[in-house]
Amino acid sequence: MSSTSTMTRTATKPAPSPVYAYAGKILRVNLATGKTWTEAWSEADRREYLGGIGLGAKILYEEVGPKVGWDHPDNRLIFATGPLAGLPVWGTGGLTVITRGALTGGATSTQANGFFGATLKYSGYDAIVMQGQAKKLSYLYINDDVVEVRDAAHLAGKDTWETQQALETEHGLSGHRLSVYAIGPAGENLVRFAAIHGDYGHVASKNGCGAVMGKKKLKAVCIVRGTKALAAHDTRGLIQAADDIAHDLKTDPSTSTLYNYGTLPGVVNLSKLGVLPIKNYTTNLTGDVDMKEWEAPALRGGFDHRGHQCNACGMRHCHIQVIPKGRYEGERVDEPEYEGWSGAGWTIGLTDKYSVSWLNTRIDRACVDVNEFGWVCGWVMECMEKGYLTEKQVGFRLTWGDTEGAYKLLQMISHRQGFGDVLAEGVKRASEKVGGKAAECAIYTMKGASPRGHDHRGRWEEMLDTCTSSNGTMESANPTFQTEVGAPGRINPFDGEQVAKLVGMIRGRRHFEDSLGGCTFTFRTKMANLARALSAATGWDYRLEDAVRFGNRTAAILRAFNLRCGIGTEVEYPSARYGSQPVDGPAKEHDIRKQWDRMLDVWYETVNYDRKTGKPKRDLLRSLDLGWLEKDLYGKK
Amino acid sequence: MDVAGKAEAKTTGEPERAQIEVTTWVTKHVGGDGTGSKLFDEAIGRGDTTRSVLRRFTAKFPELDSALWSPDHTELGSHIEVLVNDEVLGVSYELDSPLTGGERITLLGQFMGG
Repeated sequence: MSSTSTMTRTATKPAPSPVYAYAGKILRVNLATGKTWTEAWSEADRREYLGGIGLGAKILYEEVGPKVGWDHPDNRLIFATGPLAGLPVWGTGGLTVITRGALTGGATSTQANGFFGATLKYSGYDAIVMQGQAKKLSYLYINDDVVEVRDAAHLAGKDTWETQQALETEHGLSGHRLSVYAIGPAGENLVRFAAIHGDYGHVASKNGCGAVMGKKKLKAVCIVRGTKALAAHDTRGLIQAADDIAHDLKTDPSTSTLYNYGTLPGVVNLSKLGVLPIKNYTTNLTGDVDMKEWEAPALRGGFDHRGHQCNACGMRHCHIQVIPKGRYEGERVDEPEYEGWSGAGWTIGLTDKYSVSWLNTRIDRACVDVNEFGWVCGWVMECMEKGYLTEKQVGFRLTWGDTEGAYKLLQMISHRQGFGDVLAEGVKRASEKVGGKAAECAIYTMKGASPRGHDHRGRWEEMLDTCTSSNGTMESANPTFQTEVGAPGRINPFDGEQVAKLVGMIRGRRHFEDSLGGCTFTFRTKMANLARALSAATGWDYRLEDAVRFGNRTAAILRAFNLRCGIGTEVEYPSARYGSQPVDGPAKEHDIRKQWDRMLDVWYETVNYDRKTGKPKRDLLRSLDLGWLEKDLYGKK
Repeated sequence: MDVAGKAEAKTTGEPERAQIEVTTWVTKHVGGDGTGSKLFDEAIGRGDTTRSVLRRFTAKFPELDSALWSPDHTELGSHIEVLVNDEVLGVSYELDSPLTGGERITLLGQFMGG
């Protein structure tokens, strides 16, 4: 084993003691020089920025200027966890990846789970901030105070599972003792929708964060489970709060399905609402597919499987499975979540569950965002069917539901081969390049972000959020006990004003969740419950109103970052197909385009941003104690 | 799809009827296993609304009754979507919209995530 830098024992100033819930240090890595160092962060900063995207947004804003593009060495790649990571609350191995992303060219926050967040905290760090670009393919090795940028030549070209296996073998550690987040070939080849994959089945997928990692020539971050202690201020109170959250997850009717099956019930439920994306939005009818076979128990049934839970998690939704029959018999796969079933399945007309499972895992292993893959592949399939793309252009004939063809396309994209080089830019850029009728079939936001694996023409709140958000994905989370922030429990989903008001009111919840170091699924509880757990962990008196304020603060910082990058109100709308009226299905009578401008008006009014400039208004910034941001946005007066 | 019950037999001068489809995890509250759908017929009388028909229907299934309604039974709870003729309540039909027969009311369990 060789290393690109000599072993570094990080010089550390001890953080003030006691530091409840936090490791108290941020690890800094300059990949260009191999230099590593740590910074303590103050109690006041911890309370204000929490961790995850809260911390990451601050660092991104302060350190990544408007001229530092996603592929610039000075871009930061931040892996940040939060105060609940590593503590006895379900699903607390989470990390959030924050960077300037390759699809939108703006801020990115994308969250994933497994063990990384806990492992990082046990090693003594709340976050890793990586800057610079390594001279050759490298990986970051962390074992408590030993932090090294090591040569990764032997990992070049390996997919994410192969990379993890190779590092496990190299270090003689497996299972929970080593956490690895890595890129596959798509990241190495700077595919704009490359993701970062970790711990066999967890993906930080949004906005091309894997391309940023690839540009930095960083193949993987590999952490040996550390030996540092973490302390909660009130252990008993924390466990009580954690038990209450777990109890709610198990017994609340809407979350108990999540507890038992993860997001598998989404396929059938969303199909009944016209929200399941089928064949690139060309229909909302499930046709002759027996939907009983797509109920959660049936989807899981038939596979040999075992639980593959994240850190401290009692949920039953992460599974490693073995395909029992058919062409892929014997292959080990990660059970797809809903977005896998949609992106690797329904969106591309593929409804054989074994094939979808196989393809979904292949997409993860290549480190490609399954949502964007669905939009790209579905677009190619539709365009070939309609003659907008030819076999000569694409290189082969691709038709709906063709598993092997989709896999071939995945390989072409991941290695930027042939037409795959065009597609590797994402469906927005690819469709704009091809032009003509083909351009009208592509699903994207004008910012360039990938919508999640839904047909948002039947779920307007997510379309509005995806188009207005500043993080490359979404900033709200609905439906999630929105009545606690005064939003109505039910709205008319096709009344633009009601939708816009709801989205504005619940915005920021996801930022709060993604700053705590846990899983969005195990945190599907009232924010007040999460605030209670946070209070017990840290010793603060943290309440619902603090969480709401935190979400709004974080959203304002991300908004200011994007405005500084030149991403403004002029790109806050869906592509022609994304915003079109469905031709059939439950939402066919409803056309969001007729209400879009009014929705934006109401949303801007609700979040208290200026409709024309997109800036958070002065009074809002002052109420959020963001005077420094006000100065940046409006000048000194 | 499992046709699980018929509230009243059809006779001469028979009342108009609405179909109630109970789906996914909600079927557990009406004798199902939490998957698929169960169908019921419900008679529609003069002055019936979505609310009155649902109140009459859920009165037969105590678990469903407490899952569908707020504790004081004045509003719907937040965990079950109600669709009338495949549209979420609030679009073409409100809770107090009159029903005339022939409608299909779907009770769809809300799920989080995905």
